[in-house]
Amino acid sequence: MTSNSFISRRQYLLHSAMGFGSLALGGILAGEERAKPDGQPHFRPKAKRVIWLFMRGGVSHLESFDPKPALNKFAGKSISETPHADVFNPKHFKDLRVVVVDDANGKDRKTIYPLQTGYKKYGQSGMEISDWFPHIGSCADDIAVIRSMWTTDNNHGAQVQFHSGRHMLDPRVPTIGAWINYGLGSLSDNLPQFINIGPRFFDKRDGHYLGPAYDAVNLKVGSKNSLDYAVPHGSMNKAEQREILNFTNQLNRLTSEQFPADPVLEARIKSYELAFRMQTAVPEVLDFKNESEQTRKLYGLDRAETRVFGQQLLAARRFSERGVRFIQIMHGDGAAGAWDNHSGLRKGHARLSKQVDLPTAGLLTDLKQRGLLDDTIVVFATEFGRTPGSQGADGRDHHPFGFSIWMAGGGLKGGVVHGSTDELGFHAVENPHYVTDVHATINHLLGIDPRRLEVPGYKRLDKDFGHVIHDIIA
Amino acid sequence: MNTLAKVVSVSCLLICSGYAYCQNPTVDLYVKEIKPLFKKRCFACHGALKQESGLRVDTVESMNDHEIIDDELLERLTSDDNSHRMPPEGEPLTQAEIDSIKKWLAAGAPGPKNEQAEADPMEHWAFKKIKRPAVPKLGHANPIDAFLAHKQKERGLKPQKSARRSLLIRRIYLDLVGLPPTTDELRSKKPIKDIIDSLIDSPQHGERWARHWMDIWRYSDWYGLGDQLRNSQKHLWHWRDWIIHSLNNDKGYDRMIMEMLAGDEIAPQNLKTVAATGFLARNYYLFNRTTWIDDTIEHTSKAFLGLTTNCAKCHDHKYDPIDQEDYYRLRAIFEPHHVRLDALPGQTDYNQNALPRAYDDRPNAPTYIHRRGNPAQPIKDKRIHPGVPKFLASFAHKPTPIKLPVEAWAPGVRKYVQTDRLAKAEAKVTAARQNLKLAKRKLAQATNSEKTKSVGQALADDFKKSRPKIWQTIGRGWRYQGGLLAQTQPTTERSCLRTEAHHPRDFDLTLKFQTTGGKTWKSTGIRFDADKSGENAHTVYASAYASGPKVQLAHTIAGKTIYPTDAKSNQQIKLNQEYTLNVKVRGDLINISLDGKFLLAYRLPQRRNGSIELFAFDSTADFYSIQVKPLAAEVVLKNTDRRAATIDSGKIVDLAKAQLKLAEAELAVLKARIAADNATLRGVGNGSPKTAGRLQLQMALAQAEMDLLKADASQKAATEKRQAKALNALKRGKLPTYSQLRGSQRALDQGTHKASQYAPVYPKTSTGRRTALARWITHRDNPLTARVAVNHIWTRHFGTPLVDTVFDFGRRAPEPLHRELLDYLAIELIESGWSMKHLHRLILTSKAWQRSSSNLAADQQTLTSDPENHYYWRMNNRRMQSQVLRDSLLYLSGRLDQTRGGPPIKPGPNVRRRSIYLFHSRDGRDKFVSAFDDADVFNCYRRRESIVPQQALAMMNSREAVEAARQISARLGKDQSDFAFAQSAFLQLLARTPSGSEMKACLSFLKANPNRVLFIHALLNHNDFQVIR
Repeated sequence: MTSNSFISRRQYLLHSAMGFGSLALGGILAGEERAKPDGQPHFRPKAKRVIWLFMRGGVSHLESFDPKPALNKFAGKSISETPHADVFNPKHFKDLRVVVVDDANGKDRKTIYPLQTGYKKYGQSGMEISDWFPHIGSCADDIAVIRSMWTTDNNHGAQVQFHSGRHMLDPRVPTIGAWINYGLGSLSDNLPQFINIGPRFFDKRDGHYLGPAYDAVNLKVGSKNSLDYAVPHGSMNKAEQREILNFTNQLNRLTSEQFPADPVLEARIKSYELAFRMQTAVPEVLDFKNESEQTRKLYGLDRAETRVFGQQLLAARRFSERGVRFIQIMHGDGAAGAWDNHSGLRKGHARLSKQVDLPTAGLLTDLKQRGLLDDTIVVFATEFGRTPGSQGADGRDHHPFGFSIWMAGGGLKGGVVHGSTDELGFHAVENPHYVTDVHATINHLLGIDPRRLEVPGYKRLDKDFGHVIHDIIA
Repeated sequence: MNTLAKVVSVSCLLICSGYAYCQNPTVDLYVKEIKPLFKKRCFACHGALKQESGLRVDTVESMNDHEIIDDELLERLTSDDNSHRMPPEGEPLTQAEIDSIKKWLAAGAPGPKNEQAEADPMEHWAFKKIKRPAVPKLGHANPIDAFLAHKQKERGLKPQKSARRSLLIRRIYLDLVGLPPTTDELRSKKPIKDIIDSLIDSPQHGERWARHWMDIWRYSDWYGLGDQLRNSQKHLWHWRDWIIHSLNNDKGYDRMIMEMLAGDEIAPQNLKTVAATGFLARNYYLFNRTTWIDDTIEHTSKAFLGLTTNCAKCHDHKYDPIDQEDYYRLRAIFEPHHVRLDALPGQTDYNQNALPRAYDDRPNAPTYIHRRGNPAQPIKDKRIHPGVPKFLASFAHKPTPIKLPVEAWAPGVRKYVQTDRLAKAEAKVTAARQNLKLAKRKLAQATNSEKTKSVGQALADDFKKSRPKIWQTIGRGWRYQGGLLAQTQPTTERSCLRTEAHHPRDFDLTLKFQTTGGKTWKSTGIRFDADKSGENAHTVYASAYASGPKVQLAHTIAGKTIYPTDAKSNQQIKLNQEYTLNVKVRGDLINISLDGKFLLAYRLPQRRNGSIELFAFDSTADFYSIQVKPLAAEVVLKNTDRRAATIDSGKIVDLAKAQLKLAEAELAVLKARIAADNATLRGVGNGSPKTAGRLQLQMALAQAEMDLLKADASQKAATEKRQAKALNALKRGKLPTYSQLRGSQRALDQGTHKASQYAPVYPKTSTGRRTALARWITHRDNPLTARVAVNHIWTRHFGTPLVDTVFDFGRRAPEPLHRELLDYLAIELIESGWSMKHLHRLILTSKAWQRSSSNLAADQQTLTSDPENHYYWRMNNRRMQSQVLRDSLLYLSGRLDQTRGGPPIKPGPNVRRRSIYLFHSRDGRDKFVSAFDDADVFNCYRRRESIVPQQALAMMNSREAVEAARQISARLGKDQSDFAFAQSAFLQLLARTPSGSEMKACLSFLKANPNRVLFIHALLNHNDFQVIR
């Protein structure tokens, strides 16, 4: 690829009346060595944006969206004593790649641990969901659960893997959010295209070889400093700042007398305008004062345990309305993530599910009543499930061989359960899906052909692209 | 069918006079769709690179020759049998693609006339030996200009004139040293060449250019979890400093490569050279050896050779003549190597400082091909020998093992290691001796004061005023106010009011007080029997500690305080509530009451004559009154047997003695080990391993002795067992093998390992494989190395590379437009002794580099025909690299700390060192620097230059920018007129004077905003401050 492309892009910027509404924010780029996508979908999209909820640490699929009565039936027995002894057949583990030997090994937990909460059928579809997620349960007819996810990392590097498709031992590649940011244009003039809220996983970057411009912009909801550098250091006030900005732009424009037809100069002026708007726009989005009491309740802002996540989800809805493409919300503090209940699973999961269940249902309900769910994809995911066997007295270990996530919204079916694990919830058996199948499905719904986004010098593998999960597409 | 196809295609070609004019849509279909598809999916195995089954599909003719254009073709492409279907890897062809092929076949599979087969891979431009091209004779002093002018002339392009002098000076400074010129330097009349020369020779040049190479060579400080090192190495800055130093000394690029890959083999005695192997140490990865070596192979290949050998890890390379075995031959080169920290003079703690370096640890470790790149599936029936990719192996060197000097394989025998360890052991002995002296003195004091008898004085004070005759005030915060005594500053230091006179031996004390605040412990109370030093006393206090309020009795004996758990009473001590504390003591019996309520009785471990002290520990308190009177004989105290564990002063002396004995034993062992090492490892002196072994046993005994003094009952038995074992061994003369001195710390193979479990000595020979690799990379005949280096250097001077894919010079990289120029510069690099400074001078003194970067007054035809400046008819504009931007802000503010070298600094807005010295790893990097396209530590062969709003926010609002605006404004002075101020600010920040219209804007802004800081802040946000024009 020659540098042709980026210059013509510069020219485009110059001659298109700076139509940034149609370009990715990170894309006011100079000095790139490749053709950039033009910000248009490759085919007709069914959705425009993604709200990506990620539960860090590993949610037990068994006590969330894939309840298994067999665990109660065989509780306390060794799996080898049950009719399901074959789950330990080594042939099932050939894809597993271990970073830290024996640090956490889902395949070694052999004593069946009974379900730690009940479950029931929800909605017209009669989808079974655990008692820890009653509010999401009440939205069962809007969501498509995939019970047959699998991944290859048995440790929390699986978080990196879920977002990028690559194991921790492989080179780092861009995450799904970065690809969407790269591939699709902006819908907003004032806001970043790719937002992260909540604790990041190991890698604090997303763009990797696409460049840092495609990293998520980190926002802190519920903080005065919601966006880095949005509050001036020292005593400078807004009026002074505006003065400086106007003067800077005035001088920059005058510069073109001496440096005519300089697209970088034009882009810089634009970026300052954008920055000024962004530092106002972000706090405005995060200011909920005009939200009704009813809405606040919907997201659980009136309760201590749901407030934090509820605020983040309400922020997500508000960002969606304003054209942000990819809003990534990470739930669960700590290096590994709070859901990592190797012990005290009942207590831990009960507490954590309480934090997310009501607000998540609130988000779905709210998006739906505002007509936003039609073109917004909501993803509720985690890096892996937890072992059917017990770890210690009251915990479950990491389990990459079969776990559940769900998706809802734009272009997706509601009230469907796709794929399944075996009776113990051990292996994904019917319609198994690797993590990039989720990416493929999102790309498909957004109208992106990821193969057309490839960057020279960085070969993507087939597995990076995944396969669209057509069965859940409406 | 085949023949028919040929006939059809030939007849087609007869009709059309060549493909360009060919109206045959089926030929078109082949050329536009089918051939590109074959190229993408089939050529790798059936083209010029490889001819699996002898088949090539890169021309219709060769397909016909192999008779594959028939049903079999379709059958193989569409088969459901994965082992039969083509292509064997990746997704099958889509239905649309199959349909096109069918259509083409149905039309007789026509191809164009004179169809070119894929060229021989060895004909690829970058694989051909570099020859010095003739310089076009166009009267240019600088060959760069000659080559460019030749091309420009061909295209009728007219280059721009030289940049304005002040802008050019700024460009030179930012390019060569990464710091902007001062206004004096901008006004300098020195010839440009002299400016370039002096900057290239300044020490800041190395700091600027090291950052470029650190991008390419993936410099990363260590990261891990907590203290556990997981990736790269601690103290990797030694390699960073080596890079800076090497560049400043214009060390040849070939020599740099040699040292980075094999410094430990070519100069094993010289740690300054060995530091270069930080290049390898950076790839250390605790959890996976294969990932570690993969990274090493991938980035050694990409950085020095521009080869993507990593693509041959799982299968043969799809585009370049590198097969999977080649990849594992490269792996075999690195298979033996490992990483360790070598001790450095003056430092014995590896966490403080040491040298991360590579060395050959497992010379005989076998290498096998991993089936499909899976390390769990090594193909063990064939051992892979070290080597370079075969297609370029003609000038390769065979590795010869290198005998290492003893200091390299047994770093414990290095003179400074021995001296440093001895000094440390000696210091320990000295300290132990002093400690013993002190303990003896304390013992004497304690015993003395026991002996003296004194009656002591009664005491009563209501604290209405200061009574210095009674009280001595120690510490701060004591105030007589509002008719009481207040301690106003919570502290954990010694702070009290102390009676000058001793108190009666048997006494009755009443204290009224309240605690008003404090931090954690919030303790208020009294001490008695207190000596001057504070080392001996009994203490009674009330603590309002939130997690466990209580009244406690404690004993301080010879400086040690114990808080017996049975000498406390849990009480709800509240803040701002008055309490009356009563303490009665007779002989060793003490009774404590609070507000008239009896709390506890206790036996004191010892008594002495001393003072009363009032104190507040970590609290603020009000004292209302105190009364101390002799205890009347008729008062009956509650009796008890409870007594604190004694801290026996005598025992403290014993402990100090044992410590000294142990320290002396350690020193003796160390001396004996050194002597034994010297004798056995270097053949010097007559030190004996036996002596060292015996002394080691004796040291174990000394250790046990001390442990016994310290040990509580639970450890006693084990310690005694240890002692008996050592004694027994000593008696029987069963001496242990002595431990050789350690002069290094080997990096761990696994997280569960400990460095101490590895041997202190290493293999005596190094395999020489890395030396052979480095010699091959830097061989005069290597077609890639110099070209790749020149391209990197060119990119960093001009902003655009000559070869776009800077890390891939393989067949996917088309022959560059300026091939002759690239080759010429590559030869210049080689023949100048790989001098980078030579190249810098050559480039910077060219007209091309000095041209204006503006389109202003450009020739219209030139603008239209080469708007992207492929022909370098003007200079490119570049934004300052993130590090340069931060450094410039600090430098212009007069705040840049130009200290050179040393450990990385934790980033933060108050740090003033140059950015190259900031900690830079996966998890730790400077926030401000990050906002402007900082290097990705995983992979950064070329920096990006994004323009995103976050950068505007950082320049607008960050502390870095706001502070800089303030300081720069102050430095420019306030005495100048607005006009003069605007002019000097423009010159300092943008390296030019404002135009008429700019000045007008400036004056009107300054009039409206007399605060000139705002003006400077605006200029810092000016495009032309951030951009190198």
